Amino acid sequence: MPDPAIALTDVDLSLGSGAARVHILKRLGFSIEAGSSVGIVGPSGSGKSTLLMVLAGLERVDGGTVVVGGERLDRMGEDALARFRGRSVGIVFQSFHLMPTMTALENVAVPLELAGRRDAFERARAELESVGLADRLGHHPAELSGGEQQRVAIARALAPEPSILIADEPTGNLDAETGRDIIRLMFEARARRGATLVLVTHDRALADACDRRIGMRSGEIVEDVRAGVAS
Amino acid sequence: MSGGSPGWSVAVRLAAREARGGLSGFRIFIAAIALGVAAIAAVGSTSRAITEGIALQGREILGGDIAVRFGGEVPPADVLAALATRGRLSAVTLVNSMARRVDGEGQALVRIKAVDDTYPLTGVFRLEGGVSLADALAPAADGTIGVVVEPILADRLDVTVGDRIAIGRATAEVRGLIESEPDQVGTGVAYGPRVMMSRAALAATDIVQPGSLVANTVRLALPDGTSDAAVAAVTAEIKAAQSDSGRLVSSRLDAAPGLERNVNRFSQFLTLVGLTALIVGGVGVTNAVKAFIDRKRDTIATLKAVGAPGGFIVTVYLIEIGVLAGIGVVLGLALGLLPPFFAGGMIAAALDLSIEIGVYPGELLLAAAYGFLTAFAFAIWALGRAHDVPVSALFRDKVAPERRLPRRAYVVATAIAVLLLAALAVATAADRFVAVIFILSMAAIFVVLTGVAGVIRRVAGRVPAVGSAEFRLALRNIHRRGGLTLSVVLSLGLGLTLMVALALIDTGLRRQLTSTLPERAPTFFVLDIRSSELEAFSALVEATAPGTALQTVPMLRGRITALKGTPVDKIDAPEGARWALSGDRGITLSAQPPANSTLASGAWWPKDYAGEPLVSFEDELAREFGLSIGDTVTVSVLGREITARIANTRKVEWQSLSINFVMVFSPNTFAGAPYSVLSTAALPAGDDPAADRQNEKRLMKAVVAAFPTATMVRVKDMLATVNDLVGSLTVAIRAAASIALAASVLVLAGALASGHRQRVYDAVLLKTFGATRARVLLAFALEYAALGLLTAVFALLAGSAAAWGVLSGVMDVPLDVNPWVALGAVAVALVLTIGLGLLGTFRALSAKAAPVLRNL
Repeated sequence: MPDPAIALTDVDLSLGSGAARVHILKRLGFSIEAGSSVGIVGPSGSGKSTLLMVLAGLERVDGGTVVVGGERLDRMGEDALARFRGRSVGIVFQSFHLMPTMTALENVAVPLELAGRRDAFERARAELESVGLADRLGHHPAELSGGEQQRVAIARALAPEPSILIADEPTGNLDAETGRDIIRLMFEARARRGATLVLVTHDRALADACDRRIGMRSGEIVEDVRAGVAS
Repeated sequence: MSGGSPGWSVAVRLAAREARGGLSGFRIFIAAIALGVAAIAAVGSTSRAITEGIALQGREILGGDIAVRFGGEVPPADVLAALATRGRLSAVTLVNSMARRVDGEGQALVRIKAVDDTYPLTGVFRLEGGVSLADALAPAADGTIGVVVEPILADRLDVTVGDRIAIGRATAEVRGLIESEPDQVGTGVAYGPRVMMSRAALAATDIVQPGSLVANTVRLALPDGTSDAAVAAVTAEIKAAQSDSGRLVSSRLDAAPGLERNVNRFSQFLTLVGLTALIVGGVGVTNAVKAFIDRKRDTIATLKAVGAPGGFIVTVYLIEIGVLAGIGVVLGLALGLLPPFFAGGMIAAALDLSIEIGVYPGELLLAAAYGFLTAFAFAIWALGRAHDVPVSALFRDKVAPERRLPRRAYVVATAIAVLLLAALAVATAADRFVAVIFILSMAAIFVVLTGVAGVIRRVAGRVPAVGSAEFRLALRNIHRRGGLTLSVVLSLGLGLTLMVALALIDTGLRRQLTSTLPERAPTFFVLDIRSSELEAFSALVEATAPGTALQTVPMLRGRITALKGTPVDKIDAPEGARWALSGDRGITLSAQPPANSTLASGAWWPKDYAGEPLVSFEDELAREFGLSIGDTVTVSVLGREITARIANTRKVEWQSLSINFVMVFSPNTFAGAPYSVLSTAALPAGDDPAADRQNEKRLMKAVVAAFPTATMVRVKDMLATVNDLVGSLTVAIRAAASIALAASVLVLAGALASGHRQRVYDAVLLKTFGATRARVLLAFALEYAALGLLTAVFALLAGSAAAWGVLSGVMDVPLDVNPWVALGAVAVALVLTIGLGLLGTFRALSAKAAPVLRNL
């Protein structure tokens, strides 16, 4: 059996302090095979977005081990985590998080440049063309529609060819039709590149379209369903 | 508010509710206003304390109720008799000379003050040890004169009470050390310490002769209790009686006009620097109000949604801003009251004047008015935008782009406030021309800086997307509308331009005084050599210091009594030329044009000219007085009035420090009149400065011993005195300028802090996509460095231009761009922008990514 792309063991995480401290993730443990797609569902406050942050090395755990792409994130320093993300993880946010001062092309080129790629702009251009934005390269985020902004964000996430693609409610800020386009785009790109996809969604149908669906409640996994197999 | 708008009471109530949020976001606003107001209040209060001191001690400073200055003229008996009918008289004569040790081993330039028995008419004169002045000045049986001296002279000559010194042809016994001299302020700046003696003793010294720099003054004490109005009336009568004489008449109501004028001018200059601080702070006010309106967007939209008109909303926030400005003003006034209390002692000691430290409502009101007007001028534009915040802001994340300008009413209100600010500065200025120039310069710099910021933004936006991501992020941040560029360029640019200008003026002046001049200037000025002694003097100089270049000219003293037939008291002379009409001037005779001057108009007279008296007038002064070739100039010399016709005008190179005069007469004008010789001696400079100094000392000792009535002034000592004076003024100027720079730093820090949220966002995103902290830091540092560097370059250019304008336009001194000033400006700019910027960025770097990404 190949090594898993993601492996979490006994992950614990609390946020806040004093009386306001909340136990978000409770002794969480699971693994995700390389090249598969996983949809994480659950009500608000169940810890699914925090889980994504942990997988991206954006949130540090209090306990347990986090192995992503063969590396122990819980042991890495902040800069090492940044380099790891640049290399191995593409992230798509619900609110796009594009740099408002940069054009679409520049936004997509940033992670490539940070990784030292000489062909950053050629690559960025190709990615934008692949998401259908060939005619929007020089536009700033404020000049793009929500759907276009999310396409730029997907291009940015995919450009460094990461082994893991993480998406947090990628359609949350979009209308239904645009949302469907975006999902199709993401699934096609993942399939083409063989990347592992982990996405958080409220949309059960979308989660069901993945190879596996993990349900969360109060920081714990309450269901783990593989396509065609009940856990 | 009209048309059914809610009333003021509702606006006040709402403003009070809104203010519950506290002062957060307004600390820089309050500090900026407080700083500027404090500077202006401090300068105003200190200046008023000095002028009040002068007013209260007018009688002591003047040495009586009324003083008539005769210059070198011996007061005529009929004038004295007429004055004596009005009250008690006292005659005082001031003249410069040398005091020497009797063993010839030391000499010093001194200011001799010869007084009569009635001195002082007012105030108390005290000697150390309580000796009476009359006893101290009484002659000894052997003819030795008695003198009292300032302690510093005793130190300089290493003598003490009871020792003898030589002055002119007399031997004097030091009988006492001056502890307190009530009229010292009124007798003007002196290059040497005071030696007081009786009038008979002065005659014994034989130092007063035709052409000597003598100031005879007769003071008049009216009966005790004479009112100010009566003093003014008597003064007017005496002035009327003396109107054609050219003699100056002043009263206790105007006891030290020179000092008062200088204090007023200097305080005006410092007030304008304080106003600069306030205007720099204004940028902070605008930033704070802009950020405030942005923060209140939802509240404003909600208020509108429930029926508040745009104008009403602006009123609500204007009330809040007014209260905050009030807090800043009150803080500033409180701070501004402190410096006079701390610095008062020092100033009083420096001026030898007890100053009246107190709370002066007029000065405080003026500072408060500046504070409120600045706050309003810089706030109303940004506040005006609240008028047009759409209700749809509640329903959309991003609203339509803002209008470029607020409504016309707010633009007009801003213009009115700016004009009022300018009008206030001009109306309260001692020199309105300077105030107008200052305001126009400030306006120009403000406009240019805004333009520079726009150009920087535009260029940054057009630089092709090449280079590293850090470089591009820096460029795009510089280009961002509403980013740091305008705030940094304006706040830092204004402060830095002022600093550069003042530093360059300072170094230009000092260089002129300490390095350029002495190379070209003579070593000594020798005054009061008699015409009969000239040959012996020249021989002595050549024998003692061979190779010395000696330049000698005849010199008489005279004062202008009429120009073009108009008596001087009827001439409304321009400010810069008034000095030429007040008191005695040195005048000379020459058959050919003097060195270091060139003819500007007219022709020089023939060598053997024997016609009507002709005069050559200094060109610039001639233009100030509106004099041209053929006009007449009347001078009073040795009690005789002589009218001469202007034959030509000369441009004089005063900086050469060689001998030159405003008026040079044709030799036949004063044929037969006694005169003294003014001489400059330039010793040959050797390779060894110590040997040169020894030569100078040897020559001085020889000349002073052989010509006891001559006065010898070492040019370097004189320049050092002037340099010290410039140094003292520079300290005050730098203190005021540093307040402007402090305001810059405040505003800069505020602007950088207001961009913190954006920095956190940028930092988190960059880290999310793989940037290490060092790379994020680099991106921000590049942005700050580029802004700092560009601002410094502009400040250097603008500051140099301003300094050049002042130096070459006003002082006729060339601009010397000191590389240290340039490097200093760049260093200050970089340290401030990168330092303050990265200080905030470090916090942004340590921000946790997850909460930011969730919340944004």
